[in-house]
Amino acid sequence: MSADQNAKVKQALRQFILNSVNVSDLKDDDNLFESGIVNSLFAVQLLTFIEKTFRIEVGVDDLAIDNFKSLNAATDFVLRQNGLLG
Amino acid sequence: MQLTAEQAARYQEFKAFANDHIEPFAAEWDRDQQLSDGMIAALAERGYLGCILPQECGGKGWDTVTHGLLVEALGRASSSAALFLTVQTMVTTTLLKWGTADQKSKWLRPLATGKMLGAFAITEPGAGSATGSLTTEFTRGSGDQLILNGTKKWISCAQTAGVFLVFGKLQQQPLACLVPKEASGLKIEPIADLIGFRAGGLAEVHFNNVKIPAADVIGKPGFALSHVAPVGLHYGRICTACSGLGLSRACFEESISYASTRRIGDTTVGENGMIRSLIARMGTDLEAGTLLCRDACRAADEHSPEAFEKALMAKYFTSTAAVKAASDAVQIRGASGVHGSAAVSRYYRDAKILEIIEGTTQIHEQLLGKMFVNQANRLRS
Repeated sequence: MSADQNAKVKQALRQFILNSVNVSDLKDDDNLFESGIVNSLFAVQLLTFIEKTFRIEVGVDDLAIDNFKSLNAATDFVLRQNGLLG
Repeated sequence: MQLTAEQAARYQEFKAFANDHIEPFAAEWDRDQQLSDGMIAALAERGYLGCILPQECGGKGWDTVTHGLLVEALGRASSSAALFLTVQTMVTTTLLKWGTADQKSKWLRPLATGKMLGAFAITEPGAGSATGSLTTEFTRGSGDQLILNGTKKWISCAQTAGVFLVFGKLQQQPLACLVPKEASGLKIEPIADLIGFRAGGLAEVHFNNVKIPAADVIGKPGFALSHVAPVGLHYGRICTACSGLGLSRACFEESISYASTRRIGDTTVGENGMIRSLIARMGTDLEAGTLLCRDACRAADEHSPEAFEKALMAKYFTSTAAVKAASDAVQIRGASGVHGSAAVSRYYRDAKILEIIEGTTQIHEQLLGKMFVNQANRLRS
């Protein structure tokens, strides 16, 4: 896994999340869904962003909260889907 | 946003279809509270019911813009007719995204070709806007079977549906599944006497110990409301936005035709400044609604995350504009506008429903207001 790729993916996701929620700071392990900072559409918006930006198809088998619950989780999911995470 | 030549040609096709097959009968369907089987068959025969699905699933592979034009054309003639395409699209797009290969193979083609009609069963007597409060319950049966109990209400097209996409909870985890109409323990009670969308086939659906094979679960437990339902609801919003646009267009065309011909003394109604004021807003709202709908459809085609808020804006705008347009269309016609024989009287009743289905106006304001405030971060960066 390239540290640079990890950073790029994380930064893109961070920017998307910060554009969607009204928080001044986002920690990598903040639980997006339990914190109450996201609305009811955020889950599917995040999924769409991931699919479009990283050219990944999120399917039924990928439906696991651990794949999307935080910035770190979403980053790892993207890298894993692209074969970049061992 | 300009339509492509193909989209524009299809729009003409859709308007011609609506003029021939829907508009002449819309008042009768409204009065009888039922669409004709022939109309649904005509939609199916032309592939309209599955037009947005890929060809390999039995659809036409049309883009969302084209699909939106079709809904608009249908909605211009009859809100109830547009509703059938809306609901079919909600069910099929959800299945397209989250169905397994076996589920798609079993269900998508009959839905795409119109051999089967679907219904999106989420609302309950005690849960409309608050989908988190669903009480429809799944419990474990023998093997990997589930048992379904509960009641859904205000379910559009339920009277004619052959399959229901049902949302409930399994041990507090939201779950979705497909339930065929013939399932033992399923009972449909038609709902009559709505003020609008009277031929929309609404019903209350009761589930009494209905057995659900694991193979009919859509998605996974816990994700039905966060990931599964939003796909269908998103297309439901787009369709309702386009249907409302069609209704506004009908009001506008009716109003300018009447205003330009109805005489008051030696002048026409349309030369009256107060009538021109109503028509100015109606026409401008129509243009604005058109732009919002096209943009929402285009964003859906581009698989853009912004598509969801664009659909919210389009639905919010066209539904509230349709209520105003229909009210003004009746007003412009005066006494003749409040008689049942006037199409505008039906538009007036149908328009109100648009502010309630697929998310009320107030829910839209809540979601959009929060989204816009949350965008403050973009200004700071």
